[in-house]
Amino acid sequence: MAAIASPQPTLLALDRIAKQFGGVRAVDGLTLTVDRGELRCLIGPNGAGKSTIFKLIMGAEQPTAGTIRFDGRVINRWPTWRRAREGLSIKMQIPGVYPELTVRDNMRVAAQNHIPMGSMEDETYRLLARVGLEHAGEELTKNLSHGQQQWLEIGMALSASPQMLLLDEPTAGMGPGETEETARLVQSLNAEGTTIVVIEHDMAFVRRVARNVTVLHLGRVFAEGTIAEIEANERVTDIYLGRT
Amino acid sequence: MLARIASEVRPVLDGVFNAFYQYQDSFAFLVLSAIGLAVIFGMMGVINLAHGELMMLGAYITVGAARSGVPLPLAMLVAGAAVGLIGAIMEVLIVRRLYGRLLDSVAATWAVGLILSQGMLILTGPSIQGVASPLGSFRVGNTSYSWYRLLLGAVALALLVALYLLFMRTRFGLRARATIQNPEIARALGVDTARMYTVTFALGSALAGLAGGLYAPTATVVPFFGTNFMVEAFVTVIVGGANVLVGSPLAAALLGAINAFLAQTWGLYIARVGLLVTTIIVIRVLPRGMSGLVDRWRLRPTGAR
Amino acid sequence: MAAATDWGEMSAMNRRRRALSSENLAFVLFVAFMVIYPLMADEFSVGNVAYFLAMTLLAVSLALIWGYAGILSFGQTAFFGIGGYLYGIFALNYDWGGATLVGIVVGVLAGGVVAATLGYFMFYGGVNDVFVGLTTLALTLVLQTFMAQTAGPEWAVGEARLNGYNGMSVPQIMVGDTVLFGRQLFYFHLVLLVGVYLILRWLTGSRWGYGLLALRENRERTETFGYNVRFMQVQVFFLAGCIAALSGVLYASWGGYIDPASMGLTAAVTPVIYVAIGGRRSITAAVIATMILLKLSQSLASSAPEYALVVFGALALLAVLFVPEGFILSLLQALDRWVFRGGRRRRHVAPQEPAPAQPRRVS
Repeated sequence: MAAIASPQPTLLALDRIAKQFGGVRAVDGLTLTVDRGELRCLIGPNGAGKSTIFKLIMGAEQPTAGTIRFDGRVINRWPTWRRAREGLSIKMQIPGVYPELTVRDNMRVAAQNHIPMGSMEDETYRLLARVGLEHAGEELTKNLSHGQQQWLEIGMALSASPQMLLLDEPTAGMGPGETEETARLVQSLNAEGTTIVVIEHDMAFVRRVARNVTVLHLGRVFAEGTIAEIEANERVTDIYLGRT
Repeated sequence: MLARIASEVRPVLDGVFNAFYQYQDSFAFLVLSAIGLAVIFGMMGVINLAHGELMMLGAYITVGAARSGVPLPLAMLVAGAAVGLIGAIMEVLIVRRLYGRLLDSVAATWAVGLILSQGMLILTGPSIQGVASPLGSFRVGNTSYSWYRLLLGAVALALLVALYLLFMRTRFGLRARATIQNPEIARALGVDTARMYTVTFALGSALAGLAGGLYAPTATVVPFFGTNFMVEAFVTVIVGGANVLVGSPLAAALLGAINAFLAQTWGLYIARVGLLVTTIIVIRVLPRGMSGLVDRWRLRPTGAR
Repeated sequence: MAAATDWGEMSAMNRRRRALSSENLAFVLFVAFMVIYPLMADEFSVGNVAYFLAMTLLAVSLALIWGYAGILSFGQTAFFGIGGYLYGIFALNYDWGGATLVGIVVGVLAGGVVAATLGYFMFYGGVNDVFVGLTTLALTLVLQTFMAQTAGPEWAVGEARLNGYNGMSVPQIMVGDTVLFGRQLFYFHLVLLVGVYLILRWLTGSRWGYGLLALRENRERTETFGYNVRFMQVQVFFLAGCIAALSGVLYASWGGYIDPASMGLTAAVTPVIYVAIGGRRSITAAVIATMILLKLSQSLASSAPEYALVVFGALALLAVLFVPEGFILSLLQALDRWVFRGGRRRRHVAPQEPAPAQPRRVS
């Protein structure tokens, strides 16, 4: 009987996950583990199954085979809302904000399951300030720029103080300045201890933030390693150029 | 000896024919009630709550034309065409403005239906003189059956086949299926999706008008004629799901059996309650109806490669 | 921390501003008028407006479910009818002192339970949007045809004969040994309406209300924020069913009578029309629109009854097409902008390129 073990290093473990849409295997026996405190980038050509993996992790889709473990527990059968309450947050590819609600109401909707009512005002302010939107609280969200909507959504995902944050293309549609700020935000969140998995196409961004990179191809892990190792791997270049 | 066997087999055969007749009658009623609604829903995701009133218009036009000397079958086709035109106008003036606001299109078509039925009440009064049911009847055993009801069963099947051919074998059908799959890509490929929607809405309305015409001889034609068909139309579309070609016939096949059985055993009202209860159970088990079931079966994992 | 103070002040200002909106003002004026109305009107008018108040609850239930939760239900009249019938059946079978008051609870819960059951099948089955409209309308139609054929003596629950199309006579509400009628009944209805209104206003501003707002906008996304969306849908459906049933109870006890037509298709039209015309997103607008339109419909009924529904249908259609917020709510909002313009300073966000509109896909 060992003393109570320190938390396992592995936070998320996908074990031989498959997802089939009709005849298409979007994910095909994929095994992937993410440790606590990691900042992992998922890259891969279109159709590699990146977004599908996020959907499987959040429970928007059910895997046809395999198990998903989060924090040591099998979560395959958990509904999405329970996964969210147990510490999984996502920023979606298509902005997942509520365009018809004000910025502050957006934040409140995201935060109120996790933050006591008494400190709601202060907390929403703090979160909005974190993503640079503290002065836009009364604005309807649809009037924000695309980049600001992305940040708002990151702030909303943060309000749950998640153990793991899934970011699906956080810099899509952003200019270089906004991309840089996003990179800084992602890094500082990670430095505070949030485990982050990022799907990103922008290699400059990946180079900037990631320590570990996983390359997906045809629904499987194609290569894994540091950014330097991945960039040195010619087979990775090949799949991007369609040579396999 | 043979005569004795015959006399024992005879009632059984009569019973079988009776069951078949009731079943095909229910099936035809469900298919014809729902088909126009299902075409529009399957293609556009829009539920046209003026559907019953379009059937009512079809019945009025059929009766009007037939009473002024047009042969009945032709009168029904005229009704279909005229209601189709009305549908096209409705799409351009109202439904088109509400794409992306599906609930609002439900509320708006519902208001249109209300205006149509109440307007008809104001224009023509509580009922008009109908037309007699054509073709007469025949007897099997001790029961009398209507030829016309059998014909409706055949028409329902013929319409399903015609729709299948239209969607699977024509260029219109190809464009329509492309629009269902992905309107943006269809547009990029040069399909005028706005016109596709207008045509689809007109087609669905024409089918409603035709169905109304087909049933005009079997019921009194009143401004609320359409409500006779609404429960059947709704449950067929709900159970059928989005795929008209597969879902609606399967739904009508299932619900027709339940309806015919319950109506024979306990009467029409219980049969309606039975349809509703079946539908509520089906949606719990099969959220996308029969269409979803067929998809799941068709797209099931194909095993090891 | 200066910014945080600014924020705190701003939100305090917000709250004040929210309290002092033309919507709230309109409701306060409405209640004030209703409180003094019986003192200056004749007995018949008081009874008549008591009927309006009862029907208003039906519109409120639809505004909650449609405007607030984004679920278009044509089943509110079915729950209305269930409430009325169940109240009647209970009150006919028990005649001790508080029986009718218990009967109100029974009727209300019956409507709520039927709604929750149907809601469970729909929402846990993943049925949403237009299919909810179809399913609830089918329920209304089936219930009407079913009740219409209960004329025979075998359709009785204890002392209560259902009587099919002829309708069932229903006892009036009694408190102790006194039958409520006239002004008493009027105030009874008014208190219930104001009570339901206040509860709903409080609920919609609560955590739960914000959750509803979010799931109206986007169900899938809301679930990823940790909301048990289906359960919340069943909850709000239950609540709206209860309110519709309360409306039915008050209607049936007011008239001493309920029949299948009161839960039929034409009846199902009316709340949708009132709420579409008034403004579905506001309970206040639904209340005011219902009062005005009921009055209008009565004056039309004396001269040209057939035209009332055509006119209302056309108004509802115009509202959906051109004034989706509804006429009353748009008016209130315009007043807000005009009167409280100084308070509504818009904070400017860097006006960068507008976000590309996301086309909503039909699934």
